[in-house]
This record gives sequence, C-alpha cells and structure tokens, in this order.
Amino acid sequence: MRVIIIGGGIAAAYLANNFKKLEPSVEVTVLSEETYMPYDRIHLCRLLDASKTTADISLHLDPMVKIELGQKIIKIDKKAKRVFSKNSMFTYDKLIIATGSIPISLFNIDAISNAAVFRNADDCQMIREGVKEKEVVVVGSGPISLEILETLNEMPNVSKITLLVRAKHLYSKHLSIDAIKIIDDCYTNGGKINISYEDEIVDKVIENSQITLLKTKKLTIQNPFLVFGVGIKPNIEDFADDIRCNKGVLTNRYMQSEDKDIYAVGECAEVEEFGFVAGHVKECILESDCAISHILQKDLKKFELDISVDMLKVGEFDLVEVNSPKFTSKYEKVLISSKKDSRIDEYFIDDDKLRKFIGINSNVDIAYVESLIESEEKVDIGYLYENRLLGERGRLICSCENVYHQDLVDIVKQTGISSFGQLSDFSQAGRVCGRCKVMIEDVIEDSQHLIDPNIPIKNPEDIKREKEIQKVQKRLDKFNTLNPVNKLSTKNLQAAMDSLDIAKSEVNSWVSMVTANMQLHPNFEQVVDTGVTMLNKIPIIWLELSDCSGNSEAFIKSTNPSIEDLIFDYISLDYHELLMSASGDRSETILEDIVKNKKGEYILIVEGAVPMGMDGKFLRIGADAKTGVELLRECAKDASLVLAVGSCALDGGIVAAKPNPTGAVGVGEALQREDIINLPGCPTNPTNIVGTLLSYIMFEELPALDKFNRPLWAYEGRVHDNCERRGHYELGEFVQEWGDEGAKKGFCLFEMGCKGPYANVNCPTMKFNKGTSWPVQAGHGCMACTEIGFADKFANERVYKEDEK
Amino acid sequence: MKKIVIDPITRIEGHLRAEVEVDENGVVREAYVSGQLFRGIEIILKDRDPRDAGLLAGRICGVCTNSHFRAAVSCVEDAYSLELPKNAEIIRDLMAMALFIQDHVVHFYHLHSLDFVDITSALSADAKLTSKEAHKYHKKPFRNSHSHYEDVLEKLGKFVDAGKLGPFSNAYWGHSAYKLTPEQNLIMISHYFEALKFQTNISKAVAIFGGKTPHPQSIVVGGITSVADMLNPQRLNDYLFIIKEAKDFIDRAYLPDAKLLAIAYKDEIKAGVGRANGNFLSVGGYEEGNKKLFDAGVIYNHDFENIASFDEDKITEEIDRAWYKNETLDNEVEYTDLNEDATLKTAKNDDKYSWIKAPRYDGRVMETGPLARVIISYKKDNKLIKSFVDEFLASTDLELIDLSTSIGRNATRAIETSYICEYIFKLVSNLIQNIKYYDTDTWTKFDFDSLSKDAKGRAFFEVPRGTLSHFVNIKDAKIENFSVIAPTTWNATPKNFDGIRGAYEEALVGIKIEDTSKPLEVLRVLHSFDPCLACAVHVMDFGETNLHKFKVDAKR
Repeated sequence: MRVIIIGGGIAAAYLANNFKKLEPSVEVTVLSEETYMPYDRIHLCRLLDASKTTADISLHLDPMVKIELGQKIIKIDKKAKRVFSKNSMFTYDKLIIATGSIPISLFNIDAISNAAVFRNADDCQMIREGVKEKEVVVVGSGPISLEILETLNEMPNVSKITLLVRAKHLYSKHLSIDAIKIIDDCYTNGGKINISYEDEIVDKVIENSQITLLKTKKLTIQNPFLVFGVGIKPNIEDFADDIRCNKGVLTNRYMQSEDKDIYAVGECAEVEEFGFVAGHVKECILESDCAISHILQKDLKKFELDISVDMLKVGEFDLVEVNSPKFTSKYEKVLISSKKDSRIDEYFIDDDKLRKFIGINSNVDIAYVESLIESEEKVDIGYLYENRLLGERGRLICSCENVYHQDLVDIVKQTGISSFGQLSDFSQAGRVCGRCKVMIEDVIEDSQHLIDPNIPIKNPEDIKREKEIQKVQKRLDKFNTLNPVNKLSTKNLQAAMDSLDIAKSEVNSWVSMVTANMQLHPNFEQVVDTGVTMLNKIPIIWLELSDCSGNSEAFIKSTNPSIEDLIFDYISLDYHELLMSASGDRSETILEDIVKNKKGEYILIVEGAVPMGMDGKFLRIGADAKTGVELLRECAKDASLVLAVGSCALDGGIVAAKPNPTGAVGVGEALQREDIINLPGCPTNPTNIVGTLLSYIMFEELPALDKFNRPLWAYEGRVHDNCERRGHYELGEFVQEWGDEGAKKGFCLFEMGCKGPYANVNCPTMKFNKGTSWPVQAGHGCMACTEIGFADKFANERVYKEDEK
Repeated sequence: MKKIVIDPITRIEGHLRAEVEVDENGVVREAYVSGQLFRGIEIILKDRDPRDAGLLAGRICGVCTNSHFRAAVSCVEDAYSLELPKNAEIIRDLMAMALFIQDHVVHFYHLHSLDFVDITSALSADAKLTSKEAHKYHKKPFRNSHSHYEDVLEKLGKFVDAGKLGPFSNAYWGHSAYKLTPEQNLIMISHYFEALKFQTNISKAVAIFGGKTPHPQSIVVGGITSVADMLNPQRLNDYLFIIKEAKDFIDRAYLPDAKLLAIAYKDEIKAGVGRANGNFLSVGGYEEGNKKLFDAGVIYNHDFENIASFDEDKITEEIDRAWYKNETLDNEVEYTDLNEDATLKTAKNDDKYSWIKAPRYDGRVMETGPLARVIISYKKDNKLIKSFVDEFLASTDLELIDLSTSIGRNATRAIETSYICEYIFKLVSNLIQNIKYYDTDTWTKFDFDSLSKDAKGRAFFEVPRGTLSHFVNIKDAKIENFSVIAPTTWNATPKNFDGIRGAYEEALVGIKIEDTSKPLEVLRVLHSFDPCLACAVHVMDFGETNLHKFKVDAKR
C-alpha cells in the first residue's frame, strides 16, 4: 500500500513513523512544502532568538519514510488517485492531509518587508532580521502573541515592544482581572514592553514595500516592525475545491473525508460530528492513531473528545489550563488567589461539575484536576482550598505527562542521569508537546549535585517495576476495601501459620518460589506475600465433576504443602467435597449461599470432565440429583472467574478418550464459553493453581493466555527445552531400553517415547511433591498430559509420529 | 418410616449417595447406597495397546493412584507371563507401602476424625489436663507440652472468632453423639494439623520412586523406570528418613489416638455399631522371605475359627440392580433414572439404583479392607502382625470381634499402618542387599512383537481400602476387554434380586439416628469404610456375568 502524507509538522512525522512501526510494508511518502525537514513548531521561538536551528528542533523520521521537500500540493485528482505539485505528480492508495494551519494577518503583508506572521522557520528568520533597532508591534492577546512577546523581550537588540490588544484581556476572555494583572505585570515590569488595551490598527503608510507609519486608536508609531499573532486557520485553501470542507476538511471519526481514500488529520481537519478542530499536539496524535487504525484496519479506534491541557511558561509566571470538551461560557467561577505569591487558581464550575481550570503559578495537582473533570464529581470547594499550597512534588513541569519538579529530581537522584536524552528511559516528560523540554534540562542540570555516588543507581526496568508494584499494592488495598465480608485479616493468617508451626522463613521461601514461578521479579515478593493473605477474601467453590480427585489430592499435598494447606483453608475454600466437614443438605446450603449471595465475587474451580451424554445423567450430585452439567452451569453463571483444573476439565481428558462413552467434554465447551482459564495437567501442579489465583487478585485481570487459555507464565515453556536431560539429547545419548546403562546415567528418554517435545508446561523447573521429582527424573519421560487429547495421542511409551492416528 | 437422603457424602473420593429408611425411633431399617458417576474407563481401554493400560487405568483414581497403575501393568505382565526383577518388585512395593501410610493417616484425621471430634468443644480444654490425658495412650505422646496445647488453643480460638471456618463450616458441631472431652478433642485437633504436614512429607516418599504423586509415572510393563533414583544412595536415604519420621508420628500420635477413640466410644463398639455381615475377604500379598505381610483367606459370618482359602474362581459379578443391561452380551449401560422426587428407585427388587456393579464371592456379599486383612492375618497366626493386634486389644480392653465395627475399622487401619512401617525397613534392607551384590536390574526384557497375540491376565492386590483386582483379555495384540473390581466395589455394592445388602448397607441397618436432620451417625458408618467412588464404578464387559467364564472361555 502506498500512503502519501501532505504536511511537514508533528502530525505528518507522527503518521509516517507509526505507519512504518505498525506495518513496515506500507510505502510512506511525506510531501512538505517547506524546504526544511519536518520540525517541531512548538519550539519556533527558539528559532526566533537563534538559540536553536531547524536541525535542532527537527523531528525524528523513520529512515524508511520517503520525504519530498518543497512540494506544495496544488491539486488532487481523486479519480486517478494522484496529487500534483507545480512540477511533480504522486500517486497514492491512501492520502492523508496534514497541512496544519496558516496564520492570519489583518491585511495582506506578502509584499511588505517589515511585517510578519509567526508560523514557520522562514517567518522566524524574517522577524529576527527585521526587528533590529526597531520598535516592534505585536498584535494579538492569545498564547502565540504572549510567547512571541516573551522571546522578543529577551532579545538584546530589541528595545521597545508594543502589544496591541483589541479587548481588555490577555490570554483568555475567561480570565479574571486579577489574573490578567499578574500576567501584565510580568511583561511590563521590565519597562521594555507596553501593552495597549482596547486598541487596534486604524491606518498605515506603506512606502517602498515598507510600513513607515502605523496609526492605532491610541498610538502613532514610526517605522515599526509588525508581527501578527492574532490566530490561525486550517490550511486547506489548496484543496477546498476538491474535498468537502467547512472550517477544515470534514471527516468522520476515523478522520476519513467524503472520499474514502482521503483522510485529514490535525489542525487542517474538522471532525464533522463534533465540529471539532484540533489545537493541541495530543489531539493531533489521537487523530493520527484513529486514521492509522482505519487505514490498516487494525484495532479500530474512533476519535473521542477529550480533556485538553495547555501550558504557558513565560519568565516569572506559568499558566496551566485544563479544559473539558463540555465547557461552555455558562459557568460560575471559584477564585482562590494570593497576591503575595502571585498565584491564582480559577475553577470554572457548571452544575456543580468542574469544566475548566486555569491556574497561574498554581500548585494544584493537574492529574487531580483532570480526574475531577473526567469523573464529573460534585466539586468540594473546601477541598480545592486545601489543595492550593505547594505539594510535596513541587511545581508542575510537564503537563502532558503530569511530571512535577520533585519527580524529576527523584529520577535524577535514583538513576544518575545527566541529560535530557537519558531521561527518555524513565519518563516521557518533555517529549509529548515538548514545551517544557528546556525547563527539564534545567532541572536535570540543577539536580546533579544531589546524586549520591554511593547509592546504586536504578535502571529503567527497576523504575518501571516499582511503578507496577505500587499499582498492584493499590489494587490489593482496593480489593480489601471492596471485600470486607471475610473478617480474616493478615493478623489471623499469621496466627494460623503459627498454629501450624510454620516458620516465617518457610513462608518466605515459598513466596519466593511462587514469585519466581510466575516469572515476576523478586521485588514482587512482598506483594505476592500480601496477595497470599488476600486469597482468603475470596470465596471459592471447588466442584468435582467426572474426575478422580487427583487434582484435589495434588493440591493438598504437593509443593511445600503444609503452607498450601494453609492457603487452602484461608482462601475460604467454602465448598470442596473432599475436605469439607458438612455433608448432604448442609453442604448444599453452603453452595447455594455462595452462588446466590456472593454473585460476581466467588471463584469457581472445576475438576473433572463434564459428561454430556444421556442428558448429563452419567453424573448426579446432591439431594436434588442435579446433573453435573446443570450444577456447573449454576455455579459458573455468576462466578467472577472459572478455573478448569486438570486435563479432564480442559477437554474431557481421559474420560473423553476414544470412544468417549459418556460424551465428556471440557468445562469451556460444556459452558460454551471462551473465558475459562485452563490449567491442565494430570494432575495440575498446585503451584500453578495458586499462582493463577494470585495473579488474578494482584492484577485484577486474567494473566496472559495461550491459544488454549492456559496462563503463559506456567505453560509457555516447552518441556523439551527446559529438560534436565536436554544435554544428552544434543549429544545423541539416548536410553535404548528401560533400566539400561543409559537409564542409569540419566540419558535422554526421547527414544523411549518421551513427549517432552510436544508438551508446554513448567514441570522441569517446578517438579512435583516439594520439588522431589517429575516423570522425566523418574526415568519414564513426559506424556504431555497438558495437551489437548493427550490420552489418545501421547499416553504411551512409543515415539510419537505426527501422522499416527 | 421416613427416608433420609444424604448427597453429597463429603470427605470421601467421588460421588456417593446414601438413602436410609428410619422408623419412629430413628433406627435405620433399610439402606441404599449408590455411586452417582459413570466414566467407563474400561470401555476406553478397549482396542488399545496392552502396554498403555497402566498409564490410562492409573487415572481411574487420583487417591488410590498407584494401586491401579500397578495392577493394570501387573495383569498385562501376568498375561504374558513376564517375571519381574526383584528390584522392580521392591520399588513397586515401596511406593505401595508409602501410599498405605499416607492414605490411612489422611483418612483418619482429615476425612474421618471430624465425625468424632468436635472442633468447638476443644476450645474449652485445659492445656495441662490435655497433656495429662495424652499420657494415658502413650508414654511419650507426640508434641505434648502444655505450651504447645496452649498455642493450639489460642490459634483455634482466633480461628473460630474470625467466624470463617472455611471447610469446617456448617458441620454438626455440638451434636449429642460427640462424646470426647474437650481435652480429648484438643489432642485430636492438634494432630489434625500435624497430619496435614505429615501427609505432604509421606507423599514425597512415593514421588522419590514414582516421579510424582498422585499419578506416578515410573511403572512399565516388565519393571520400573526409576533406576537412577534406586541407585542413588541419597534418594534411598531420603525415603528411609521420611518413613522414620512417619513412624514416629504413627507410634506416638496416630495409634494412641485410635486407642483414645476406641476407649471413649467403647459403648458403641460393644453395641456393634457399624458391623456388617461378617464375610471377609483378603487376597494377601507382599512377600518377606517365606512370609507374607498379609495372609489370604475368606471368613463367613464372623466365624473366625474357620478360614477358607481364597479361590479366585469363586468371584462373580452381577448387575441385577446396577445401571447396566441384564440380558445383552455386552453389558451396556441401561440408565433407568431416578424417581421424580430425585430419590433412588428402590421400590421393587429389580429396580436399578447404582453405577456400582455387584461382585460376589461364592455368591456372597463380602467386606474387604484393613479389617478383613487384620482379622484373617491374625487368625492365620501371621507373626508380623500378631503382636500389634494383641497390644492394641490389651490396652483398650477389647476383643477381636469388637474390631468389626465402625470404630474398629479405624483401629485396624492404625494397627496396619504401624506394622507396615516395620515391613518397609525390611524391604529397603532387601533392596540394599540386592544392589550391594550387583543386582541392578529393574526391567525384564521382552520383545512385544514376538509375544503371543492373544492372552489373558489378572492381578490381585491388597491396597489401602481392600482387595483390588484387574483383568485383561488381549486379542490380536490389543486389549479386547478390561475389567476392574476395586475395594469399594465390594463394600459399596448394591443389592441383587435377592435383596441381600452389601457391607455399607448392612452396616447402616440398625444404627440409631438421634436427629434425622443431622445424620452424623450415617457418616460415621460410611466413612469407616473409607469410600472411594472413582475406583468403585466399573462397567463389566465380558458377556458373562461370571468371571470364571472369562478365565476359561478362550473365545472372549
């Protein structure tokens, strides 16, 4: 597929890179009208004062992306799927328009040498050259003007600047007078800047392509340099005839225009359903993702309006704005301001819900504000007041990633990084919109002296893991509060452990083993430990159907089982026919109670196959003589999780072996459900059962599963690959007959019919019965009891032939 | 007459239902027990390579796990007349004996003791008195310090206070049939917890030579595969060490607790509660020099003085009232369902009501298990066992006939466990002798293709719950038929047209149920047999209900 992207900004570069990343076979060409490689316009001010070059702020582009510079597209031939520049023609399968926006000027300045807009590198050069020794007039009160103003203010060869503001406010008409005053002071304190409110250009004199005189309502300025920062509009003029447009190119929520092969993304696009035109990097990226997903038909994503965060950092003040898409001018405002600190928090509230926040020099946690807007909770004004003061994390630095000053200092201290480049391993701060990059560089530099050379530094994995652990801890805490029914606390568990005389060290070693078995880092041990004590919060029904109790037996005896037993008790194993005291009616009452009163809370563990023949009557349970499948359905309906334990529960196992006399099937098939977790084995290693329960509790989600719904952490490794006898296989040393010299020496059992090459499970490392042995160690070989149809395929001592029936 | 249905019967393997009819005094007048699950493993075994029988038939039961594995392989070896190397026989025995110990201990404490022990009553025990009480049954009782009992009490208290008893909830606590003092209850509870640890360790003994348990994987036709483990002195030492530890627990906790129960419930023993019809069967086995661990024999009607020799030809199987077709050659399934109110159909004497078939010996219903083995071996003057039985009877002031009761069955299990430990030491010593004199054979070589294509074999073993027999009929080098009679098949048999009750049913009749809503007494009787239902249910597939025919009729 050939994709053509028109544009040279963030959206174009992001689109190109992500196409290559997701589908390398796509042929991507970027057509930019500029003569520079795509660069980050956010940092345009750096070009203005020449502190950076376009190369410095250029965007990374995948080397496989083709880029054509200086190609201004003037025509699209939708039928032939071609685009034309003045001198070239390009054909496409899919076309994406990402031309961004163009600046507005109040009169035509094309032929004028001392007036400019502020949109690209050429504009910057023009302004930089032109402002020397001139009085500069900047028009506009929005964020762009304010940024230009700041940069010009710092330039030594600019001595006087006038800002023309048509209305009475700076930045936004919603700001309070106090806030405007703070901003105004910041600019005008230096004496270089004069702000003229309620003023606009009324006349001008142009001689020899130069403005020689500028008249405003209030002022007269000789030989000015004029900069327009009044706004932008979608850059669609060249396509307006070819594609349906309104403000921008009209698209659906996949950013697809009326022509199915043409998409538009970013500031040039208008999502018709919402009448929405993007104004932030975050939105442009989101739109790009939607377009890519639609073009590749992979993980389809529809554009959604989202909360936006804006930041402006100028000299001594910073400004943060958080905006709900539901914001309207129908609001009441709560102002918390401190003159002393030049700080103002402005909360825009509608119907008790927060719709917008603007903070100047604010200490408020932006993540909290976002969550408040998103949740639409009733606003508690007292709480807002309490939050006005500086938090432990200090000032917000990166609004895109919610990274605060102290967060960065901590990263520096823990990891010993010394540059912005190294930061990327630990945080994406400064990399989304990039506005705060310079501040971050400063923080990193200023924190270098805090690095203690004696403390071991952490690598990116460490930090990531710590975050994960914190997350798990939070889930556990949440779980605790959600399930207060069971009063057994960690304290009581401890007592019970003592009653069984289990040394803490033994528990620790067991926890280590489970942790290792789940392929988690040792740092997770503490959480796994807590996870174990948490198991008792969940009622468990262990249903035995067409089975031999082998898995129950295994569960009560293997792998450090005295502790397992304990867990057995403490997972609140309320119903288990092999172990429970109650019989008959009384046991049935327990079952009914759980199924009825603990909907969505309990875990169902099923052992055994489900006989479906003869209407399921090959198995009947309880005083009402329900069939096995009836009881299974009842119990499974409201279970929060169903674990099918053992090979029979997987696919009927031995019970379903040919000719399957009772029409036995596995639990998944019997329930016609695909969300059953299978833990096959004959029997299943109990550690794998406990581990799966743990991961469910810790991560509140199913572990990663393979195609048979077996948890990867236990069933990913091939027995053959991890086998203790693998070395002998490589050397061609095989047992030839039972009890021969090779058998005495532990040679490979492949020729004796070992099915290790066909089995996926962790037996070689976990072993059975407290790590005592496993079938290969006992000289027999594996029979792949974890695999589908093992009884017919693998349960023998002959070399397996694929074509064998 | 009132009918009580108990389903599921918990703390057993498998799906067992009991229905008893009680009169106005709460005395059981009639009883029906029924296996409620059919899997048909024998049907699955048909047409397979005989060498695969072990791995598949082993899956009959996850509790009696290596018993079926071994018996299935043995009957195939019998069909081909394969002699095993001595070492292979010993290794198989070592696994079997460890299973005996594990099964009996788990049965006593975890499956059965809660029928006699009231957890809540133990809370009011006095630690010092408890320690003193324990001394009545052994001079050095297991973990008998005051502080240990105080710890147990404290922890038990917290456990009960927490209000979440897990598997202990909703039982018959406080039932008037609980007779132990708080101190006696505390001793038993303390050992209940110890036994949890015990059973995990003893399982390691099976796994050392079996690869894993349940479902070990080291037995093959002709021998065993775990030769490297056998030749590793550390493995053998590990095994011995586990057994030594086990023996300590058995001598100082298990056996004394069995005595404690026997003395506390002596009234019930003397009243014969749980006694069946007194027909006992043992096939004997497990050699030691010229002696055997268990003697074979048959006793009728508690007539201990006349022990007939066991004759396998006298075994027959009937299906009058089991859910199989009476008339056709291949006794296919014929499920006649339950009554509309979900009770068993038992009104007429030809109503079928169970998946368990009805084995008979010489036309009679038999009881098999530790009780049968102990009585037969004792009366046949078995030197290995006699002193253990005498010691138990003397210290509890009981007679041999008293063992034929619910509590007596438990006593015989404890006695048996104790002398099995002694036997294991002898087995290991024999094994070491063999290895020392360079006999390291573990497999008898044979060429499968040159073996006869048609053959018949059978294997009889005493296993923890009683007599186990496997039969195989091989035709064209494939299994034509396979049949199993397990201990629970004998004991939990349904009636025939003649209406004669099986051991379970007979033992239930005559007991008095204090509170029909809490039929604790029924559980006691049934649990005393250690039911294992996965083992019990087997289709027979021989065309003739008479096994004798199976042996002589070459066509089938």
